[in-house]
Amino acid sequence: MKFKIKTNLWSGIIMGGLSLILLLLMPYQVRVPAFDSGAPSPRIIPGICLVIMLIFSIVLIIQSLVLKKEKIVEFDWQKEKPAILLIGLLCLYVALILLIGFIPASAVTFALILAYCGERKPFIYIFILAASIGIYFLFMKVFNVSLPTGIFF
Amino acid sequence: MGDLQMILQATGQVFTPTNMLMILVGLVIGMIVGCIPGLSVMLGIILMLPITYTIEDPATAIILLLAVYVGGMYGGSISAITLNTPGTNSAIATTFDGYPLARKGKVKKALDTSLFSSVFGGLFSAVLLLVCASFITKLVANFTSVEYFSMGILGISLIAGVSGNSLPKSIISGMLGLFMACIGMDAVTGVTRFSLGTSTLKYGIDLLPACIALIALTQVVQKLRDFKLSGGKLDDANKIDREGLTRTERKGIIPAVLRSSAVASILGAMPGVGGGVAQFLCYSEARRTSKHPENFGKGSLEGIAAAESSNNAVVGSAMIPLLTLGIPGDGVTALLLGAFVLHGITPGPTMFTKQGVMAYTIILGCLIANILLFPIGLGMTRTVAKIVQVRYTYLAPLIIMFCFAGSFAATGNTKELVICAAILIFSYLLTILDIDNTPLMLGMILESIMEKNFVTASMAYDRDYTIFFRRPISLVILGLTILLLVSLMKMNKKIEALNQANIEAIEAEHEKLDQAENVDSMEMGA
Repeated sequence: MKFKIKTNLWSGIIMGGLSLILLLLMPYQVRVPAFDSGAPSPRIIPGICLVIMLIFSIVLIIQSLVLKKEKIVEFDWQKEKPAILLIGLLCLYVALILLIGFIPASAVTFALILAYCGERKPFIYIFILAASIGIYFLFMKVFNVSLPTGIFF
Repeated sequence: MGDLQMILQATGQVFTPTNMLMILVGLVIGMIVGCIPGLSVMLGIILMLPITYTIEDPATAIILLLAVYVGGMYGGSISAITLNTPGTNSAIATTFDGYPLARKGKVKKALDTSLFSSVFGGLFSAVLLLVCASFITKLVANFTSVEYFSMGILGISLIAGVSGNSLPKSIISGMLGLFMACIGMDAVTGVTRFSLGTSTLKYGIDLLPACIALIALTQVVQKLRDFKLSGGKLDDANKIDREGLTRTERKGIIPAVLRSSAVASILGAMPGVGGGVAQFLCYSEARRTSKHPENFGKGSLEGIAAAESSNNAVVGSAMIPLLTLGIPGDGVTALLLGAFVLHGITPGPTMFTKQGVMAYTIILGCLIANILLFPIGLGMTRTVAKIVQVRYTYLAPLIIMFCFAGSFAATGNTKELVICAAILIFSYLLTILDIDNTPLMLGMILESIMEKNFVTASMAYDRDYTIFFRRPISLVILGLTILLLVSLMKMNKKIEALNQANIEAIEAEHEKLDQAENVDSMEMGA
């Protein structure tokens, strides 16, 4: 499955929409302080950023629709599927770290990733398991950071 | 304290066993990361960032990161020569002559030329940094928060102007970065901004997990995808022979090395230019002034020397605007600025007055890293080159584990892992939309500095926001922003066309070489 993405148009629509929503949310998401400390409003910097984002999103839409200046990117599902799957697996990795801890999560996730990448030799799986234990103790003993242990400890 | 006194004091501080060890470790890691195609110097610096948290002296931490930068710039040439695949973008021009020379069986000669030129270029710019830094800071000593805020605008505009193909997209990316850094509690008023009612966003998005997701994890995912699509095949690397660079050959390349180092040092000091641009300009210049321009593209030592001395010369000179003005010149220096911020150092003129010894310790550390690159390069290149042949499935899990462990270590809170994953998804969306994420990262890094100066200036001038246009120096900086933006964009377009012409010509030359070699081998077989 292949389809072409007009990146200027879609960037303009998505980023413009995002900035507009955030601008509308501003009064609810950034409260004005109850007393005046003399400092500028906490809304000013995010407000400026969002307005500039909105302006340049409109510029992108004009570039695409009026000036016909467009950068087209071909989205090839066959090529992008591995990247999307890998990102999905990394999200699963985070969920597993929170749930079962760093070492078991690494063992499970990287076994899946390696199997997906076509690795069949057992040594690589043992190597990765050993590496996860090594990194866990490196952070604990050398950097004094205890990585998440989840429900097991 | 005078500059000389500070330099003397810094000399004593830089030659500690810890600093020397950090430089050696940094150089080796930089060479390894730099030589693996698809991974960048930025990834090496990001991987080292969590480790620097445990280093007490911020100067030592920055020296370690600088050593990774120096090593990575040289490391990029190893795969450029042995595989015809540049390890980093800054080593593209090295493939032009490095690979043809390697095909002739002279891999060691090509690598020695690269090492010698890299060390020369790096030293040249590090000395320039040492000489210029104090001078520039004296020029900008009268800057107030108004000018610093304008400098922030200059920095972010220049990066947005030169990265990516579309200015509106890059500006959107930069603004997104500034906005994302605003999320969480405002330091001055204590008001929570855009937390969306979640505890994950209440304390904001930490810089380190964001950089890890934007740069390191994005790169690893792309590289793993390519690995999967290629079926795990590895390119054949040329074996390293024993015939190195002779004294006469070394003498012969000195003019090219000297010229390239000087040109690249000037270019590197201009924010928004960087090593990628410098190498092509220096390569063209070396060919133009060479006595044997016909050898370029066929294994010319001068060609390798020009490309490699230029990309390493950029390291020191890119530090000039970073250390003296607080403006990063490219993605790597933006990341280094992030490292400064994370370690509580604010680069700029005040750094030389308030933390002068530390500033000079960092500069001298950069100088020593360039000197030590020579013995490390001579001793380790053969070993590091073998790493290119290690299957990526061994490296990727290690990098990913280190990335997530490093993200968690930033604050010790599991929310960093969630933020990291969320930014990774967002970064992929940006890639699909062809939006470069370097301005986003710079925006995140610069926000704290910009907002602090904006608040200070606003409070000092009773919220009179026209002050940024009324103070002459600030007005000049803002004017300069527009001027530089327009001229740099024009210059980059011209250079891009020149690069394209160079690449096409060299590819044609390489094809001819391959065909000639095939004919030879067929004749031998017959």
